[in-house]
Amino acid sequence: MQQREEKQLEASVESLISRVAHVKNALHGFIYKLENEYERLTWPSVLDNFALLSGQLNTINKLLKNEKTPSFRSQVIIPLLLNPDRDEDLAKLTEQRVPVFSHEIVPDYLRTKPDPEVEEQEKQLSAEAARIGPEVAQKQIQTLNKLCSNLLEKLNNPRDDRDAESAALRQNKPSFNPADTNALVGAVAFGKGLSKCRPPGPVAPGHPGQGPMMSGGPTLQQVTIGGGSGQQAGMGGPVAPQQQGQPGKMPSSIKTNIKSASGSMHPYNR
Amino acid sequence: MEAPPVTVMPVTGGTINMMEYLLQGSVLDQALESLLHRLRGLCDNMEPETFTDHELVYLLKGQQGNPFILRARRSLSHPTAPWHLRYLGQPEVGDKSRHALVRNCVDVAASHSLPEFLNEMGFRMDHEFVANGHVFRKGAMKVVVTKLSRILVPGNTENTERLSLSYLVELSVLAPAGQDTVSEDMRSFAEQLKPLVHLEKIDPSKQRH
Repeated sequence: MQQREEKQLEASVESLISRVAHVKNALHGFIYKLENEYERLTWPSVLDNFALLSGQLNTINKLLKNEKTPSFRSQVIIPLLLNPDRDEDLAKLTEQRVPVFSHEIVPDYLRTKPDPEVEEQEKQLSAEAARIGPEVAQKQIQTLNKLCSNLLEKLNNPRDDRDAESAALRQNKPSFNPADTNALVGAVAFGKGLSKCRPPGPVAPGHPGQGPMMSGGPTLQQVTIGGGSGQQAGMGGPVAPQQQGQPGKMPSSIKTNIKSASGSMHPYNR
Repeated sequence: MEAPPVTVMPVTGGTINMMEYLLQGSVLDQALESLLHRLRGLCDNMEPETFTDHELVYLLKGQQGNPFILRARRSLSHPTAPWHLRYLGQPEVGDKSRHALVRNCVDVAASHSLPEFLNEMGFRMDHEFVANGHVFRKGAMKVVVTKLSRILVPGNTENTERLSLSYLVELSVLAPAGQDTVSEDMRSFAEQLKPLVHLEKIDPSKQRH
């Protein structure tokens, strides 16, 4: 009987040691990656590392819960000899992490109770729980359960319901204007709204001032107005020979503009 | 004066004919921040790159109807950098199922005497504008978010006024001709930017009127 238990204990300790060694290696690799390959790291690979660690911890948990594993709580570790001198074998065994088996390391490595601060907090929590009484506690438990089930329901429900509500919300704030897209594409592709003889076309929204009263011959006019803000207003006056060559359609628009300019009395008219 | 389509020209040497695959969209000012955050997450990890450029578009009128267009671009934030001259051909009318606008593209660098040279050659400047914004990169794809401004006094790049309350968003890839997988990749990237921005193939000739 004794021997069987001893054998079981030994076997489970062996497997526990190997699992913990796996976790240690995974942590080691992860820390190395975080410290040295910081720039190249991507979020999916960090998630992979975390998933690996979580899987390994799960295996350890399962191992401990296994019925073949004897209860480790009933085992006691008693240090038989504490030596303040450096122990080379121990140092080699623990990869230089524990060079001395002395009085200082006993409270940390052979600890079975929680840390003093944690113990304090646990005592406070149990005192609090005892204080509020059973009915209040029951009500709190019920509220928590209800909240959790509500949340689970919302998460598990088909996506269509959720998407319909969120889509309705998002309609209120459109993030782009198709008319603007066309205007910008036109401007980049062939200078719609930009070139010398600006056609009475796309007007930028929100611009103060009159409607499009563009004309040819802006070069001279711009100089006289001094490059004022807002759109160039319609103007008559002689359309002097341009500095740059004009595309073929210029002559017709000049005539048109002179016609329209004579109709409007603009203060900046020459 | 357009270059003949790629398939007809024999490749005798020199540079490979590069095609530009393009998708365009726009985003309003208030949504710009969220778009920039999303792009910073989706694209390659690099320092955010901003640019301020002055582009001049030169036309050469031939005997035929269509003028020959060249685009000269210089950086206002790096005044000593060379000028960039670009030719963009007509969009290829391939199958309608292709998701991006494809056109022939030739890029060269030029010295600072480019505007005078083009004037001497007979080109005339048609229009100019100032573009500033951000550039992002993901592999071969380049995403540019630009704010276009009109130049009020020709040659004076200080005095500008915004063309619109939106930013132009362009997704482009430069690739040799015939690689149609590129447009698939571009389309899946564009999906990730919805619903902030709808990147689509906009035919410039349809915008003319």
